[in-house]
Amino acid sequence: MTIRYESQKVALPYIQLSLLLFVLQIAMGLWLAVNYAFTLPQWLVDAFSFATARAIHTNLLVAWLLLGFMGGAYFILPVECERELFSTKLAYLQLGLFALAAVTAVVGFLFGWTQGKPLLEIPVPLDLVIVVAALIFIANVLLTVIGAKRRSVIQWMLVGGVVFLALLYLLGIPFYRSLNADYYYWWWVIHLWVEGAWELITASIVAFVVLQVTGVERQVVEKWLYLETGLFLFTGIVGTGHHYYWIGSPDYWLWWGGIFSALEPIPIALMVVDTWLHVRNRRNTMVNRLTWIYIIGLAIYHFLGAGVWGFIHTLPPVNYYTHGSQITVSHGHMAFFGAYALLNLTVFYYALPQFKGIRRYQEKLGQWGFWTMAVSMFFLCLVFGVAGILQTYLERFLDIGYSTAQMTMMFWFKAALFFGAIFLAGAVMTVYHLFTLRPAPKATA
Amino acid sequence: MTKKTAKSIFWVGTLMSAGIFIWLTVDFHRQEPAYANTDRITDQVVAGKKVWHKYNCNDCHTILGFGGYYAPDMTKAYYRLGPNNIIAIVMEPEKVYKGSFRKMPRLGVTRREAEDLVEFLRWVADIENRGWPPQDEKYVRAARLREKEPHKLQKLDIVLGACGGCHSFENQGRDIAGDFGDIAKETRYNRDTLVRYILDPASVNPDSGMPPQNVSRETAELIADFVLGLR
Repeated sequence: MTIRYESQKVALPYIQLSLLLFVLQIAMGLWLAVNYAFTLPQWLVDAFSFATARAIHTNLLVAWLLLGFMGGAYFILPVECERELFSTKLAYLQLGLFALAAVTAVVGFLFGWTQGKPLLEIPVPLDLVIVVAALIFIANVLLTVIGAKRRSVIQWMLVGGVVFLALLYLLGIPFYRSLNADYYYWWWVIHLWVEGAWELITASIVAFVVLQVTGVERQVVEKWLYLETGLFLFTGIVGTGHHYYWIGSPDYWLWWGGIFSALEPIPIALMVVDTWLHVRNRRNTMVNRLTWIYIIGLAIYHFLGAGVWGFIHTLPPVNYYTHGSQITVSHGHMAFFGAYALLNLTVFYYALPQFKGIRRYQEKLGQWGFWTMAVSMFFLCLVFGVAGILQTYLERFLDIGYSTAQMTMMFWFKAALFFGAIFLAGAVMTVYHLFTLRPAPKATA
Repeated sequence: MTKKTAKSIFWVGTLMSAGIFIWLTVDFHRQEPAYANTDRITDQVVAGKKVWHKYNCNDCHTILGFGGYYAPDMTKAYYRLGPNNIIAIVMEPEKVYKGSFRKMPRLGVTRREAEDLVEFLRWVADIENRGWPPQDEKYVRAARLREKEPHKLQKLDIVLGACGGCHSFENQGRDIAGDFGDIAKETRYNRDTLVRYILDPASVNPDSGMPPQNVSRETAELIADFVLGLR
């Protein structure tokens, strides 16, 4: 199988850069775990603080995911619209701007150039570069879709998600005098991204991939797409309220936030069901087992990390004790891995063989990579979860001070470092495999 | 279900949720002054918030529970630590946390910036946020009683409310400067010296890393009695 449209090729550098940043993100994560697990000398802490490393870890996460979404969108759009992209030049320009902003941001963090807001540390001048890149992306996607040879739900869902994503980013840029309002709108970026705009984009990309790989009827896939994204937005938008319990807000947020976010696992559960149905009712033969494993793994980990792990501590009486503890770390890792990291990797496993004209690829190393990542991530989240339960119990039930509690959790921080190292090994295997895909020998086909 | 039904579910669900959310947002702004005391956001508070951003404090510390989990939550830090301790910590973390298993970087915070930061944290600590984080409520209670009804304070509340940010007692409080049980055994100060030490440590021991404490003489005496009573 080869690519069908010449302009799909712009996706390749997006995907390659995305994969490199993924590995760097994990490496930085390990460094954070070292900070937790050992006492570092003062000079090292002065030169390269935990705060700087965390800013790099989280920004690389956002950067590689967004690059993957953009590359993925550029890859599927020509096929979905039955035409070339509006402009490949714009796509390369956008990639250049985005990469420039990302690299400058990371170097800037090392020298203390920061907006000082978690996850949104990128300073305003660089924000503007990103806004320009985003506008180019929107224009390119929109103009491609407008001139499409056929209309589809997937196209418009993608456009909607991309516009929504860009608009929300703007709310993170201004300086707010009140910390309370600051965090109110901070969540419009963070929460409405991951439980809104990103879900729209990824759900449409997944719908496309599932459609292509399984060969089930388009009508069925698009029906599910409407239903799931509808429920994502219905529960997710008001569900933002689960972040407002303790920021200084009226009591009704406990109810609105609690009830709507308790419903948030429903669309994810539906996603597991429909993936399962599509795979069972497939019309195509299973060519590359690993791509299918990724599609199913994505659905299951999405449900586990975002759905179950999120639900566990979303109700106000529980959240009062678990908010702002290692429990959140556990949920964050599993949710991002399940919902978005696996999504990107699924798309990459779908797209990359096509660039090389490979129909069936050798998948042994990729299998090792997937299972190493999946298992170590599960244990990593378990370990963070245990640390979080300990922290909650020691600090908030027994009234033991922060540092005494942290010292008691030390074993679990070391365990997190251990599983993190295994995860890094899995990520390196996966990325190496993706970069060096080779056709499977005919005999085993 | 047909595709058309699914489409209606999408639009009805999305618009309904967005409508509710926007309505709640309008009301949030209407009520914000009462919950966050926005009238008390002075220029110094804003300056302090900029200091908070400038040094990227929020990627190690949580505030309102958001941010990095590497260091204690700062929402009620004003009540947990008091102004002098906050200033001492941010200006000379390498001294305060010399014996700590986890270090805070030397950030080069100026005196002026530290004072602004204190004002910011003072405003934050008074945000009406349903008593979160739970572990710091005791400090808030003690601080408020200390101001208004000192006679209602339990002795332990006073001691931990004033000292628990750095000292521990029977596992309560934060043990970075020693446990009161050990201090009581080791100290050779008499009551007067100890009171002077609490109010101005450097006047008794020039090498001390402890900052002068924001407590009245009576409270200092009470603390001294408590510590000496443990011998």
